[in-house]
Amino acid sequence: MAQVTSVAVPGQLLGPVSEYQPGPGTHVHNSNLYASILGPVRKLNPPKPAGPQKRLTKITPAVPAALPTLSIERNISAASQDGGSKGKAEILPEVNSTVLCRVTRITPKQAQVAILVVGETVLDGEWQGLIRVQDVRATEKDKVKIFESFRPGDIVRAVVISLGDQSNYYLATASNNLGVIMATSEAGNAMYPISWKEYKDPETGASESRKVAKPF
Amino acid sequence: MATETFVLPGETLDPTALPSHPKLPLKLGPGLRHIPPNTITPTVAGQLCTDKRKNAVWVEFNGSRYIPTAGDLVIATIQKSSVDLYHASLSDYTPNASLPQLSFEGATKKTRPQLTSGNLVYGRVTLANKHMDPELECVSSSTGKSEGLGPLTGGMLFTISLGMARRMMLPKPVEQGNLVVLDELGAQGVAFEIAVGRNGRVWVDSKTVKTTLAIGKAIVDTDEKGLGVEDQKKLARKLARDL
Repeated sequence: MAQVTSVAVPGQLLGPVSEYQPGPGTHVHNSNLYASILGPVRKLNPPKPAGPQKRLTKITPAVPAALPTLSIERNISAASQDGGSKGKAEILPEVNSTVLCRVTRITPKQAQVAILVVGETVLDGEWQGLIRVQDVRATEKDKVKIFESFRPGDIVRAVVISLGDQSNYYLATASNNLGVIMATSEAGNAMYPISWKEYKDPETGASESRKVAKPF
Repeated sequence: MATETFVLPGETLDPTALPSHPKLPLKLGPGLRHIPPNTITPTVAGQLCTDKRKNAVWVEFNGSRYIPTAGDLVIATIQKSSVDLYHASLSDYTPNASLPQLSFEGATKKTRPQLTSGNLVYGRVTLANKHMDPELECVSSSTGKSEGLGPLTGGMLFTISLGMARRMMLPKPVEQGNLVVLDELGAQGVAFEIAVGRNGRVWVDSKTVKTTLAIGKAIVDTDEKGLGVEDQKKLARKLARDL
């Protein structure tokens, strides 16, 4: 790699667009290729184009020479530092993917969660998500009370509805099979579900309201 | 009705101290905690009180730290206002409670009270739990009428202990709480208006600033010095003479 450095930092100039194609982890600005994330630079040489057709009676236009692609690998090793609150992992939550998350904070308008599992993959770092009060249920959205749907510490199955902004994914639990799957009571015991809106503590006998996910 | 037992947090209670009733279950009031299966322990230091008729037991304790509970009447100080919410402080160094701007009698989007930082409101706590900031209302949600709640104009705010606030809010403060200073001041011809918040705040208003200050000081002194009935009467008469 003569011109291109082996490890790039965000914002580092990699080369002009006339010489390289942008790949994952890079972006184009003013006809130049810059790195977007911290990581090792990989150069993918394009497949060799087929030689000119040996047909003397036809003139085909020359295919423009394919450029090598530069991409930056997301480094999964513990040595790299993640800057934003969207940490690093091999797999990212996408729209319509089912995730498991833990509720970290509740306010009357939304519940903040930490996304732990995407699909079947457990993540290394936690992504922050938000469940807004109008996305908790499918029906009677204006009558939802966050305190009766989630509590801090609950494990919730939700679906990603938007990649959101710099700090949060937006999630929803508006379906029968989405909602709280594990909850702890005020007394500290694990509870089991008794209906779509209640969990029961077997030791004290007290019930607590939650938006319960239908077990499969 | 009240038995005089002083308890400390975590003490094991004597089972004979708890009332028993053939039909009603035992009701636990503030200051007590049930640990299944059979343990009832106090969580605060105070006097253990029982009510045989209702089969209830609770601890009477005094303190200065108000913990919001749903249903309490409180005096809140508006700190700031945002879109359709007022942020009101119930006590120092605690998160602000939120008060919806439409939660006043006869308030619509066009006609709502214009409250600014420093205004006082008499409200009721609607939502209070350890996970979220408390919420208030200044109108009764069932009837739509204010029933005494709403902004408090004029007057002055004094801070008292929670025990004193509880005594002042009893149905019969003279007999149940030994609180005669206000009745005595009224009997001496002083005209005033007060509002008591369970968060340890009392608002006093009267014709002159001197009267307001005197009444406020009387209440605070009764609280801080622990004045008995006779001392309260003497204090009230002394103040009324100067006014």
